[in-house]
Amino acid sequence: MAVVSVVAAIAVGCLVLFLRLPVDDRDQAMQAIVDGIMKGGVYALVALGVVVVYKSSKVFNLAHGAILMLLAYFTWWLLAPTDLPLWTALIIVGATSVVIGLVIDRLMMRPMIGQSGLTTFILTMVLGFSVVQGIAVLLFGGDPRPMPSIFPSGRLTVGSITVQYPWLSAFIAAAAMFLVFVTYFRYTRGGLAMRAVSEDPVVSQSLGIAVKRIFAIAWVVGCLSAAAGGLLLCSMNPVHQDLGNFAIIRALPVVLLGGIESIPGAFIGALIIGVAEMLAITYIDPHVTGFSMLLPFILIVVVLIIRPHGLFGLREIRRI
Amino acid sequence: MLPGGVFNTRYDSDLAILRTRTHWVLLAVALVVVFTVPLFADDYWLGILIDMGIAIVAVLGLHILSGLCGLISIAQAAFVGVGAYTVAILTTQLGLNSWLCLPISALSAGLVGLFFGLPCFRLKGFYLVISTLAAHFVIIWCFEHFDSFTGGFRGLHLDPLSLGPIDLRSRSAFYLLTTAVVVLAAFLGKNIQRTAAGRAFVAIRDNELAAEVSGIPVFRYKMLAFFIGCLFAGVAGWLWAYFQRSVAPSHFQLIDSIWYIGMLIVGGWGTTTGVFFGAISLSFLDVLLKDYINPALVKSLPPDWAGQISVSTGLILFGGIIIAFMILEPRGLYYRWEKLKSYYRLHPYSHIPVPVKEDEEKEGEMDDSLG
Repeated sequence: MAVVSVVAAIAVGCLVLFLRLPVDDRDQAMQAIVDGIMKGGVYALVALGVVVVYKSSKVFNLAHGAILMLLAYFTWWLLAPTDLPLWTALIIVGATSVVIGLVIDRLMMRPMIGQSGLTTFILTMVLGFSVVQGIAVLLFGGDPRPMPSIFPSGRLTVGSITVQYPWLSAFIAAAAMFLVFVTYFRYTRGGLAMRAVSEDPVVSQSLGIAVKRIFAIAWVVGCLSAAAGGLLLCSMNPVHQDLGNFAIIRALPVVLLGGIESIPGAFIGALIIGVAEMLAITYIDPHVTGFSMLLPFILIVVVLIIRPHGLFGLREIRRI
Repeated sequence: MLPGGVFNTRYDSDLAILRTRTHWVLLAVALVVVFTVPLFADDYWLGILIDMGIAIVAVLGLHILSGLCGLISIAQAAFVGVGAYTVAILTTQLGLNSWLCLPISALSAGLVGLFFGLPCFRLKGFYLVISTLAAHFVIIWCFEHFDSFTGGFRGLHLDPLSLGPIDLRSRSAFYLLTTAVVVLAAFLGKNIQRTAAGRAFVAIRDNELAAEVSGIPVFRYKMLAFFIGCLFAGVAGWLWAYFQRSVAPSHFQLIDSIWYIGMLIVGGWGTTTGVFFGAISLSFLDVLLKDYINPALVKSLPPDWAGQISVSTGLILFGGIIIAFMILEPRGLYYRWEKLKSYYRLHPYSHIPVPVKEDEEKEGEMDDSLG
């Protein structure tokens, strides 16, 4: 309760401050906030992949960023040098991400079933930061490549705020996919099975849920969301070999802030992180160079120290 | 298990690291060999061995922090960087004596480690790993953006090291210095494990709550583990700074920290010997890759791939090996070595399974209670 009242007080304070600003400054702040929300939508989709895998198999997938980068490079390769039509390329990328998900699940995650969360965490860390990164560099080189534009270009102006169409479309696409995932988890039998498996794999197995299949599905969904996130992130930035680090570093504070088990939490967390980043770019970067690069890490540490289970996560109770 | 005919008849011989005369002779021979390497190795190999020595010192620190206390840190490369930057800044900007900087850079890395270890008051498991990940990027950001001290992205250059009249610029002299530091660090690392603090670390690793209810001040010992682990990193950074004679933010990357963790995993989690196994095997694999595998690949693949191959094969190979060890042999090379020894000692009856002593079984295993 105390946390809620503190948050409410901060929100009211920000609102009062905001309304007392001169009109020009208010427009600038509004612009930053709207841009931040657009960015946050895409971050939410990136973070969703991490949450889906964690929710079903209790594996914190640190390789998500690197897989996203590999699939983004693959999409670029299909669209630009190979020049395939968009839908064909999307289908091929989707099929590839299904295969990647299945391979990771079968070869690396299944032998590790029953190991502690920390062991699988380190495994995905090594997988993401070295193996997948290496494969992407080997196959596609490491140079930045502009992704061919998928969404219509141009900008939408409402009052004093302008929104670029690619960003808006990315936000709408991300929000739509997010809704699909939330519905799946909340209202379908498969989603219920996933939540049951995350609660207790052994009991779920004995109740007749195919736990291994659930793990495989989770990894496939994770990789599909990585493909989608890569596509949308690259409508904002070029594809680059640091894209993987960029994505996972933005996804970490989102996931931690929202609570690692909570899908709606990931969305709210992503919006907060996106807005915070845009505000930092607008107001702090001119005074302290590169501060917005540091912001995600400060947020990670602050969230971890103040509220390790996040806003909507479950508090862990330890026993001997 | 002991070889046939060897019995520990007194407690102190049971506790000793070097129990028999053979052990002493082997140690003496090994030390003589290690210190005479410059007589028959060229500069190229000496450079590799120096790199390996520096990695061993850093990994020994990580061994105390992660292997013994169970606090996994992926900021070790950044802490090495803190040590290296400390000596670079103090000697170039303030003109301090370079030998005086050795304890100072160890201490400064230790203090920075203490600061970034503070979250372990509340966090455990992978939450703590994430906070050390954040620590890595924060430290590197500081190197890059405090231009007036650190020289920004370009970094700093150091004057060559000398000890009185002796010039330590040549590879062979520097190799001897590095080896001396490695031997000292190994001695300390092995013995920290055997003190009350070391046993407290292991207790915390195996079961934190049980350790706490047995009266171990958990938070204080965790901070101590961070401090000691980062002291080693600071010493490694000091060596590193004088070996390269320049420091820049790009020298201390996240991937280096992952290799340090990988050396622990490949060698064997929680044993000092394992640190040596891991560091030596991965270093020699690196040489093999750079000198033999990469040129062969470049020759057999299309020429425009050459640039990509040199960057990526190491990432794929080392990452693959670390993952393979985690899945197939999580106890690492050290456990295989112990099995080999017992096989040899039991020789005609090697097929009969021997019950392993309980504490030996525990050693070298990443325990479930970590998570």
